[in-house]
Amino acid sequence: MLPLDCSRRLVAELRDALDACAERQRQLERSLRVSRRLLRTWEPAETLAAEPTPEPETDEEVPPPAGTPSPQDLRELELLTQALEKAVRVRKGVSKAGERHGALSLKSAATSRATTASAPPGASGQAGRRTSETKPPRGVHQTTVPARGLPECRLPSVGDRTRMGRGASTTKPRPSLRDQQIPPSAAPQAPEAFTLKEKGSLLKLPMAYRKVASQNSRLWAQLSSPQTSDSKDAASMAKTQFLQKMKTTSGWPGSGLAAAEVEVEAGLLRKACSLMRQRMEEVLSADPADRIQEYYSLLTLEGLQAITGQCLHRLQELRAAVAGQQLGPWPEGRCCRASLPCGGRTDPTWSPQLLFYSSPEELQSLAVLGLRVAMLDQQIHLQKVLMADLLPLVGAREPPGPPWLALCRAVHSLLCEGGERFLTVLRDEPAD
Amino acid sequence: MGRRRRRGGGARVGALPEAIAALSQTLPAGPSPEIFRRAKFDRPEAAPALWQLLFRVLSPPAAAGTRASPALGAQVRLVKSALCSQGYPRRVLARLPEDGSQGSRELLLALAWLLARGPLLEHLLAQTRVWLGDEIPLWQYEALASPGPPAPCQEADGPVDIRHLQWLMGTLRFRWRDLITSQQELCALLGKIHSYTRGCHSDRGLGHLSVAETELLRDPEGGRQLLQRLESENTRLEAALQWRRRELVFWQWMDTVLGSCPLQTSPATFLPRDPASGPGELELVARELRGLHGELQGAVEPRRAAWEAKAGGWGPEWSAAQRATQEAVGRDLAALQRAWEQGGAPAQPHRPCRLVKRDARAVEGPGLRAAELTGALRIRESRLETALGQLQTRCRQELARLAGAEPGLIWILPPGR
Repeated sequence: MLPLDCSRRLVAELRDALDACAERQRQLERSLRVSRRLLRTWEPAETLAAEPTPEPETDEEVPPPAGTPSPQDLRELELLTQALEKAVRVRKGVSKAGERHGALSLKSAATSRATTASAPPGASGQAGRRTSETKPPRGVHQTTVPARGLPECRLPSVGDRTRMGRGASTTKPRPSLRDQQIPPSAAPQAPEAFTLKEKGSLLKLPMAYRKVASQNSRLWAQLSSPQTSDSKDAASMAKTQFLQKMKTTSGWPGSGLAAAEVEVEAGLLRKACSLMRQRMEEVLSADPADRIQEYYSLLTLEGLQAITGQCLHRLQELRAAVAGQQLGPWPEGRCCRASLPCGGRTDPTWSPQLLFYSSPEELQSLAVLGLRVAMLDQQIHLQKVLMADLLPLVGAREPPGPPWLALCRAVHSLLCEGGERFLTVLRDEPAD
Repeated sequence: MGRRRRRGGGARVGALPEAIAALSQTLPAGPSPEIFRRAKFDRPEAAPALWQLLFRVLSPPAAAGTRASPALGAQVRLVKSALCSQGYPRRVLARLPEDGSQGSRELLLALAWLLARGPLLEHLLAQTRVWLGDEIPLWQYEALASPGPPAPCQEADGPVDIRHLQWLMGTLRFRWRDLITSQQELCALLGKIHSYTRGCHSDRGLGHLSVAETELLRDPEGGRQLLQRLESENTRLEAALQWRRRELVFWQWMDTVLGSCPLQTSPATFLPRDPASGPGELELVARELRGLHGELQGAVEPRRAAWEAKAGGWGPEWSAAQRATQEAVGRDLAALQRAWEQGGAPAQPHRPCRLVKRDARAVEGPGLRAAELTGALRIRESRLETALGQLQTRCRQELARLAGAEPGLIWILPPGR
C-alpha cells in the first residue's frame, strides 16, 4: 500500500484526467446523436388532429415539450391548418400540374404535411397520383408508422438505410409555418420523407434567424473592437485608482502575490524548462563543424545555464512567498481554480476563425492529431507527477522482500512502459 | 441618496441608474439595480443575491450550467476561497458569516474589484456564447485538465494499492481510445452534412450549413429556442456596450462606497494551511529545473575546459567572429525567453474555429487551412513523443540504479522495446 498523502494526490490527479475525458466523451456523444439524426429521414411535422398524445420520447437529448398543449391551442392549430389547407387548395388550382420536385424544399413539405393530416381524403387522392409517378429507386424509403394519421399513399419501406426510429413528439404548432412563405407552385405534395442527402441543398434558413444571427455577430464585433475614446481612458484610470485604494485601505501588508498568479508563473517556468531542455538537446545532438559553431554551442549552453539559474531563483522567491503565508489567510487545500484569466492574456471576444478543410479524411486526421496531442500532454503531466511520488518510494522501501519487488515491477510498468507492459523478475538462487 | 449628491460632480442625473441597470443586465443572473443601491448601505437583505452572483461569476462554467447550485453556505465558502486565490486584498470578506446574511457592501466592493481587474463582463459573455458553427477540439492540455471544481476528497480517502493506480491508468487509456473513435465518426458525419447542404447558407463565404443550423431547420421547436438564446445574448451584448459608455460614473460611485467603509485596523488572523497539500506544482517545477541545471552544468564544464585548452593563437579576425557569435547567442536566447514569457504556443489557435468545407483549389481569404494545422500538429506530436520517451528513459535508468543494488535478481524487460 502506498502512503496516504501520496495515494490521495495520485488518485486525485488520475481522477481529474478521467473526468476530463468523460466530459469530452459526453459532448462528443451529444454531437453524434444530433448529427446521426440529421442524416436520417427527418420526421414530418405532426398535427394535433392526428395525434394528440406524444409518442414516448426515445431521445433523451431532445428537450421535452413544455407540457401538452391546452385544448385552446389545439383548436387554434386546427383552425390554422384548415386555413392553410384551403390556401393550398386555392393555389393548387392555379399552379401547374406535374410540378413535383421543384418545390420540394422544407417549406412546402412542412406545409403539405400540416395539411394532409387534417384532410386525408383530398390530399391523398392527389398525393397518390403524385407518388405513383415518383421513382422508387430515388431512395425515399419510409416505414409505415401506424396511427400517425398520414395518408396511406406512403411508399412501403424497402430500404434499410433510413429508419424512423425517433418518435419526436411534435404536437406543438410549427413556427416554420409562420416563417416561411408558401411557394406559389406548391401542389399538395406527397408527404415524402425528407433526407438531407437528396434535398439538403434546397434548405433555406429562416429570415428571422438570419437577422438575429447577423445582429449577434455585429454586436460581438463591436464589443471586441478596441476602444480608443476618451471615456475609455478615463474609465481605466478610475479603475486603477479604485484598485489602488482597495489595496491601501485593506490594511494588509501582503506581498501582493495571489495564489492564482503563483500558479500562472509556475506554469510559465515549467514551459521555460521544457523549451530550454529542447534547445539543449538540439545543441548537444549537433556536431559542430567548425570553431565558430563550437563556440556558439558553448555560449548557448552557458547562457541556458544562466537562465536556468535565474528561473530557480524566481522559484525560490515564489516558494518563500507561499510558505511565508503572505498570500492570504485562507487557502483551503486545493482551491477551486478560478475561471477568470489573470491579466487578460486571452481575448474572450474573438469571433470564430474559419477552418477550411477539403475532405472528411483531412478533417479526421486533423481531429485525431489534436486529440493525440492533448493525450500526450496529459500523459507527460501524469508521468511527471507519478515520477515525483513513486520513485522516492522505491528508494525508500526495504529491499528485497516481495512487497518491494512487486512495487518495483508496478512502478516500472507505470513509468517506463505507460502501464502497457510488465517486466519479469527472476530470483537467481545460487546452486547449492 | 448618492445620485442626488453627485449632481455637482459633472455626471448627469440618471447616469448612475442607467449604468447600474446596464451592469445588472449584462451579468448572468444579475441582481436588480435595487440590490446594488441597498448594498451601498450594507443592508443585509441584499447579501444573499450578491453571494449568489459572485458564486456564479467565480465558479467554472461547466459547474455553473449543469449542476444545481449548492446551498448558500457552500457558495459562500467557494466565493471566499476563489477571491483569496485571486488575491483579494480585504480581509473583512473572510470574516463574513457563512449563512450569507451580511456583508452586502463588502460583496459590492468585491464585485467592483473583479470588474476593475480585467475584462470580466466580456469573459462571462464568452462563456455562455452561442456557437453556431461546428468545431473540432484543438485544445491545450490545461483546458482539458480542469473541467470543474475539485471533487470533494472524502471518497478514496484511505491509502490505495498501486494496482488501483494501474487500473486507473488503464481506464484512462481506454477512454482516450473511445474518444478518438467517436471523434473520427463525428468527422465523417460532419463531412456528409456539410456536403449535403452545399450552397444553402446566406453567407456565401461559408457556403454550407453547420449542424446547429441544420438542426434548427429540422426541429423548429429547437430552432425557436436557439433563436431565443441568440436574442437574449443580443440583449446582453447591447447592455454590455451601454455599460462601456457609462461605466465612469459607476467608478465614481464605487469610490464613495469605499469611502463609507470603516477602516481595517484589526490584525491579520492566519488560519493554518492544509498540511496535506503535498509537494505541489512549485516543487515539481523546482525538481525539473534543478535536473536541467545539473545536466547543463555537466555539459558545459568539459566543453569550456576543452575550449580553453584550445584557445590562443587564432588571430585578430577571431575576435570579430567572437563578438558576432556572442551577439547571435544573445539574440537567440532572448527570443527563447520571449517564447515562454508571452505564453501560448503560436501554432495552436486559441480562437475557436468554424469548420468550412471547401475544395482545396478554391480556398482564398483569411482563415486557417486544415493541411497547415495538421503539419504544425504533427511537429508538436513528435516533440511530445520525444519528450515522453526521454522521461521514460530517465525513469528506466533511475529504476535500474535503484534495483541494480540488489544482487541475485534478474530483471527481464518486456519485449517490444
